[in-house]
Amino acid sequence: MNPPDLRALRDGDEAAWDAAFDWLWPTAFAVAQLGLQPFLPEEIEDVAIEALEVLVEKVREVDTAEELKPLLASITHHRAVSLLRERFAKKRGAGKTESLDAPETNGEVKREPASLESPLDALAARELAQRLRESLAALKPPQGEILSDFFLHGLRYEEIAKKHGIAVGSVGVCLKRGLEALRRIWGLE
Amino acid sequence: MAFAMHSMNDERFFDLAMKAIARQCTDAERAELNALLARQPELKAEFERLRAEVRVAKEALPLVEATEASAGELPAYARERLQTKVRQTLGRPASSEAARKERELNLLWRWRWVLGLAAATAAVALLVMPMFQSAPQPIIQVAMLDLGGPSRGGDTNEVALLQQSWPGTNVENFSDAEALQRWETSWPAGKGRTVARIIYDRAAAEIRVQVKTERGTFTKTLPVGPNLATAVKQAAEFVRAQVQR
Repeated sequence: MNPPDLRALRDGDEAAWDAAFDWLWPTAFAVAQLGLQPFLPEEIEDVAIEALEVLVEKVREVDTAEELKPLLASITHHRAVSLLRERFAKKRGAGKTESLDAPETNGEVKREPASLESPLDALAARELAQRLRESLAALKPPQGEILSDFFLHGLRYEEIAKKHGIAVGSVGVCLKRGLEALRRIWGLE
Repeated sequence: MAFAMHSMNDERFFDLAMKAIARQCTDAERAELNALLARQPELKAEFERLRAEVRVAKEALPLVEATEASAGELPAYARERLQTKVRQTLGRPASSEAARKERELNLLWRWRWVLGLAAATAAVALLVMPMFQSAPQPIIQVAMLDLGGPSRGGDTNEVALLQQSWPGTNVENFSDAEALQRWETSWPAGKGRTVARIIYDRAAAEIRVQVKTERGTFTKTLPVGPNLATAVKQAAEFVRAQVQR
């Protein structure tokens, strides 16, 4: 699916927005799910829809249609974090003596989300969107995937090499370059 | 400063550090990393730096990955809610832009008919006007030769018939053949104008028709039988045919 026609979106074209919502929905849902799935899964769809509504208000602030997804991801992330903060603050403020651990569900103990302490949350929506956009541009395939495989999915060097058809010795080089790119983008110098 | 890999040792340190941070080290690799850090204490700072970077990468990467997500379908109930938001925010009425454009197009098409008709009319006028301009009304002259003089009552009826056939013309009455001949050879002024002359010669029982146009002079002699009207009608048709050619 191609990015929508930004001019038509700015004009409020119903058909263009219909196509745009289909294009944007996976991003909104995935980002909302990322933060809320362990704690407030019933809120995922609502947060994603609310984020899309906010994006409609901001469509005249972007220069290209390609900016829409990172901006939407940023909006969704902030809304999810706000909702988590609100819910967990209520829990603490209600004078309950229970621990910050949420009730156990399906054998998993729900703890207060670590994302509430994330440095990403200190970034304003537009700044976060900008960094996401830069990250998407910098991590050319398969670099981003290799980073995710190693840091997020726990794959070993050998598994990554096999998955992507590269030499085991190239995995470390790829990780190093990816980390350098993220350092530049996320301001860790 | 970022740590840069310049040698096999640097590369090995990076790989060991990554595996240690990701908790993928074997015992042997852990021992090797510890030995390296002991030999080069400056690498400890680099190790902590890498650990911090990985922490941020672990925060950012899921968001980057989710931003690129392409699976999933917008719930049907959300679409109308979102379109309502579009209308409220971007100021469009309930009907779509497409519908508005369609209305504008329809209006335009309606005007196109009018404009097309006007253009066609203008084109026709441009074509026809010069025709009228180049073909001004012909001059019609009617004469009657009656050697016996205009006293007879039958003459009156014949003159009336001639006038009726060419309305607006005066019928010249000649009682002298020579006078008629002079009249016939004297054409009225009017360059480019068609002149038609109809001469009823009672004595000869004929109607002579002369039509002078830019194309030339055409004549026809029509015998007058028992019914003058028939010959007059034929004369009128001849004149009309020559004028319209």
